[in-house]
Amino acid sequence: MSLQLLRRSLPVSLFLLRCASWLVPGRERAEWLAEWRAEVWHVWHLQDRNAQVTDLCLGAFQDAFWLRWYNPRSVPRRTLRTGSASRCSFSLAVWTAISFVVCLSLPGARKAMSPSPFRDADGLVMIASGGYAGTQVPTIPLQDYRSWKLSTRHLFSGLAFYQPERKRVHVAMHRRTELTIGRASDNLLQLLNLPASPRSGDQASGQYAARLFLSQAAWRELFGSDAGVIGNHAEIGGQRVLIAGVITQDSSQLPGQVDAWLLEDQRHLDMLPRNAKGFVVGQMRTSGLRHMDGWRTMNVSNEDGGNERFDCISLAQRSRLPFSIFLFTLIVAVITLPATTALPLGEYPRLSGRLPGTVSGRRWLFLLSKVSLVVPLVCLSSVDVAYGIPSLSSTSTQYIQLGLSYFGFLFAFRWILEDQRKRCPVCLRVLSNPARVGEASRNFLAWNGTELICTGGHGLLHIPELPTSWFSTQRWLSLDASWGSLFSDACVPSAGFV
Amino acid sequence: MATEPKLSHTAAMILQTIHAGQIYGFSVMEATGLPSGTVYPAMRRLERDGLIVSKWEKQSIADAEQRPLRKYYKLTRAGETTLEAMHKRYPLLKKMIADPEVKNA
Repeated sequence: MSLQLLRRSLPVSLFLLRCASWLVPGRERAEWLAEWRAEVWHVWHLQDRNAQVTDLCLGAFQDAFWLRWYNPRSVPRRTLRTGSASRCSFSLAVWTAISFVVCLSLPGARKAMSPSPFRDADGLVMIASGGYAGTQVPTIPLQDYRSWKLSTRHLFSGLAFYQPERKRVHVAMHRRTELTIGRASDNLLQLLNLPASPRSGDQASGQYAARLFLSQAAWRELFGSDAGVIGNHAEIGGQRVLIAGVITQDSSQLPGQVDAWLLEDQRHLDMLPRNAKGFVVGQMRTSGLRHMDGWRTMNVSNEDGGNERFDCISLAQRSRLPFSIFLFTLIVAVITLPATTALPLGEYPRLSGRLPGTVSGRRWLFLLSKVSLVVPLVCLSSVDVAYGIPSLSSTSTQYIQLGLSYFGFLFAFRWILEDQRKRCPVCLRVLSNPARVGEASRNFLAWNGTELICTGGHGLLHIPELPTSWFSTQRWLSLDASWGSLFSDACVPSAGFV
Repeated sequence: MATEPKLSHTAAMILQTIHAGQIYGFSVMEATGLPSGTVYPAMRRLERDGLIVSKWEKQSIADAEQRPLRKYYKLTRAGETTLEAMHKRYPLLKKMIADPEVKNA
């Protein structure tokens, strides 16, 4: 049987009808199916238009979908109806999910949100002058590093130095490329506990004064994950070095955006000018760590007899910086919120006994759900914007995150309160049909203001124009079931999340 | 003052077709040339708005013709009023699908 004939066959058409019928709400399904079957029978037997029968049945899907969607009892329709609490929560959840996906897709934002890759990050510190900003650019001269190696033994069990530089790298069989090379003391990877692959990739390393370790990203992007590169020689600025391995863990959280680490012995490192500036990483001794709370200062006597102050910033603390900013702005926003909007949600006299006790609970649950969705939304969006722009310096990034997340929280919390106030406490739908009531001159004996109505017929909300001692805040007036006939949407149940 | 429902040209055409005596879904399709995916949902909407009403024909009619029962549609009083208003809005409607009395004449 050809496909064309199969398409025109009665069983196929009836099968299509049966499939479409599953879209129709259960209580209408039998009648709907009977009507369509009768039409198909008529077309098939009396009209003798076999060709039309499948097309007729395909239209049944649209009909069934219409019945499903426009049925007042349709769950998706009820869930996503305009102004419903579910629609609000759903929209917030969608925006949060979008922010999360954007965060994952932007390398900068993803890095900011990921935990520290270093195993003992609490004991590892970045020594810099000028606080967090100082950890972003090389500030420590090589001569200081040399002297600290001896003078700070009581504080640090190990110190490592590195200096990022753009250098042209040439590897046989691969095109000449420019990389950011971290010229480092040979104990750096050991100090950071960064594993390299192969673990014994340096069998012949004894013969070389410098070994190059590629980052995963550089190995993948510039050398196409070619395993043959490892153990090969590379030429960096005229110096012949051994490519000893690939660092298997992400090291991009260290400042400098290094593509490859060139570990040099002390003799070669000493060839750098004395005042060449770089980064210094130290492993605090346990005794020093005991007093460490993320940030310590170190006073060092200089050659002139004066004291120089340096900051020791924990790498763990550094990687937690976006969260610290987020927490700080959250607290400040909560503290400053009362200065921007009134906190009371209004007077809601105890709802009459006809409603289950869970209704009031659902109202609070909805408020809680909004807060719990808005907090990650603001956090992720601020990180997306601040860390998603690669050209920004890290200090600007932090300020942007600080500003965005503070104002984001403030406006989000304001919106949460305002949204909560203009919802029906029973069905949680947004109140509508605002009407001006009264005159300003009546304010002394009565009230004037705006009256909002619940289209489900649950009640009226009175918002005073001028708060007075007898009408200070919005007031809810519950309507009993006898009012139901006046409202077209009176069938909306008091189901809270509908 | 009662507001008249605003109907699209398609809905008005279907209303006119039912008024002209095409009382089954498929016959409305044939008379208007519209596909089933348009006609049936439009008829549901008209029925929801109270402009047409559907009824199952009598079992005896179906038995006599040895076929399954069919559902037919007819205009309500509100539907007739609306159709008159639609004739003013869409003057060509009567020419496209003639009224039963015009057809008989």
